[in-house]
Amino acid sequence: MESGLSSLLSVSIDFETSHLFFPRIIHWIMAGLFVLILMTKVAPFMASVKRGERTLPIVGEARDNFRFIGTLVLIAAYFYFMAVVGDMFPYTGYGFLLVSMVFVLLMSLLYLHDWTKKALTIVVVNAIVAPSLAWFVLAKLFTITLP
Amino acid sequence: MLTGYIDGLGLVFQLGTLLAIAGGTFLGIIMGVLPGLTSAMAIALLLPVTFGMPPVMGIGMLLGTLCGAGASGSIPAILLNIPGTPSSVATTFDGFPMAQKGEAGRALGLAIVASFFGGVASMVVLSLLAPPIAEFALRFGAAEYFSLSIFGLVIIASVAGKSLLKGLIAGLIGFFCSTIGTDPIAGVDRFTFGQLSLLTGINLLPALIGLFAVSQVLKDAFEYDPSNKLQNSPHKVDIARPRFIETLRNWRALLVGIVSGSVVGPVPGAGGSIASLVAYDQARRFSKTPEKFGKGHGAGIVSVESANNALLGGALIPTLALGIPGEAATAVLLGGLMIQGVTPGPMLFESQSGIIYGIFLAYLVANFFMLIIMCLGIKLFVRVLLVPRKQLISAIIVFCFIGVYGVDGDVFNLYIMLAFGLLGYFLNRYGFGTAPVILGLILGPIAESNLRRGLQTFGGDWTPFFTRPISVTFLVIACGLLALTLWQNYRTRQQDAAPDAA
Repeated sequence: MESGLSSLLSVSIDFETSHLFFPRIIHWIMAGLFVLILMTKVAPFMASVKRGERTLPIVGEARDNFRFIGTLVLIAAYFYFMAVVGDMFPYTGYGFLLVSMVFVLLMSLLYLHDWTKKALTIVVVNAIVAPSLAWFVLAKLFTITLP
Repeated sequence: MLTGYIDGLGLVFQLGTLLAIAGGTFLGIIMGVLPGLTSAMAIALLLPVTFGMPPVMGIGMLLGTLCGAGASGSIPAILLNIPGTPSSVATTFDGFPMAQKGEAGRALGLAIVASFFGGVASMVVLSLLAPPIAEFALRFGAAEYFSLSIFGLVIIASVAGKSLLKGLIAGLIGFFCSTIGTDPIAGVDRFTFGQLSLLTGINLLPALIGLFAVSQVLKDAFEYDPSNKLQNSPHKVDIARPRFIETLRNWRALLVGIVSGSVVGPVPGAGGSIASLVAYDQARRFSKTPEKFGKGHGAGIVSVESANNALLGGALIPTLALGIPGEAATAVLLGGLMIQGVTPGPMLFESQSGIIYGIFLAYLVANFFMLIIMCLGIKLFVRVLLVPRKQLISAIIVFCFIGVYGVDGDVFNLYIMLAFGLLGYFLNRYGFGTAPVILGLILGPIAESNLRRGLQTFGGDWTPFFTRPISVTFLVIACGLLALTLWQNYRTRQQDAAPDAA
């Protein structure tokens, strides 16, 4: 009896799998909470979708897909090309400067609605001035390493 | 303590440090004015600028940002009825009606002075309370730290998400992310999928910037509406004269604000919106003329704005003394401290007392700068509101990039930031909240290493976690809070159901 009680009050951790001791606890609690949220929130929501009262998130929503996906693709491309262009001019920060200019220009054009001459000029000037300023202040004044 | 302050004075009163604090305050005010840009995001974006600075200068700049952003949310709240930060929601209750009466300058003057008094009072509270708490925390062993981290997570989970369940899930996502990388005790790598960059775990900074800044950019991109343009305020304000005497005449509201901010501040995850709403509610209750509230009453503005800034000092207490942040902005500040090589926690007060007292003084100085800059620059800050949102989106991404890349020049961290940005967007959208994830990420390693160290020390016996007095106190409060939140949810549901039944 006594040994049974003391084994309940103590934990023995196998050294081989000791690194998974804490993550396993977290996984089990997360799994439990996931089942709970499925039962309390997702199931009633899906039922109301079936009845046609609500629409599915993301899939059933009206949104500006062009801008949303465009933004994500541009951000990923920005990070990728920064490294590529940065390798051409190592330790100068020109990779950051050039790619940021293109990125800011494309992002601003993506969100531009009235393609007037004035709006375009502002976009182009902003795309040149803003990254240059950031590059000068951070890379030159604060000597932060940029690609 | 006195020598600490003298050392701190020497560190703060240097031209470079003062300029950095003033610059940080100025930028914080600008960020706070823009709706949607929170103080957590402002600090995250300014972090890279502080990399090359000495600790007090860098942290002073970040504190200035925090102080500025905390106070300036009142500008759009008063002039346009749009809260610049979540904590200035309650400022609109009285600020906007006062502006509509043609007294926009008076409302701003009251808000600025109340913020200043709130900030200064909270600095006093911080400098009085943090050292004894840190000294007390020196008694903490593995069991206490484990229980404290569980306590912190439970508190934030119960207030940050729309429901306890969602908050807990968000916190556990943070806990899980913190287990990625090399295990703190045995040194074995976990969930790295052969990725070299993941061996050191998920860095706090990409996660922070992703959750607080990139998620906001994605929200703007996702819910972009070109017809949604901010109109210029019809109220012309050239300069906001500080209203010291009128603020002091509302001493009751001021006191209520300071007390609410200082009490709510140290509670992990409570945040500014709760402190300011509590202050507003209490100020109305203590007032002799509660019927005036909501119709442009000065006391309403004073209570909310003093609570907003008093909260910051309070939130800094657990951040500095225990290494456990009070809310999102201080979590980012904690990241900034770690990058500066300052490890927050009880030992900080022993080993680097000059820095800690320097930080207290820098926060005090930041409040003075906030007062001056807000009063003089009000015209400029009103104009900031007119900057088109689309121009900001790309600029914010560029700054996020610099912040993350500047830490160690690893491109992989940028993708981590993007992934956390997407995660943060969906978490916010479905009411899980992002603050619990960050707290989970910070508290996860503390919980894990202390749990395992504790089990080793006690020879595999887990009962000391429940028998040591300090440890069990934290756990009992955490359990009590869980029960209270569940009971409150049950009551609300019953109250909602009652009218239907009738």
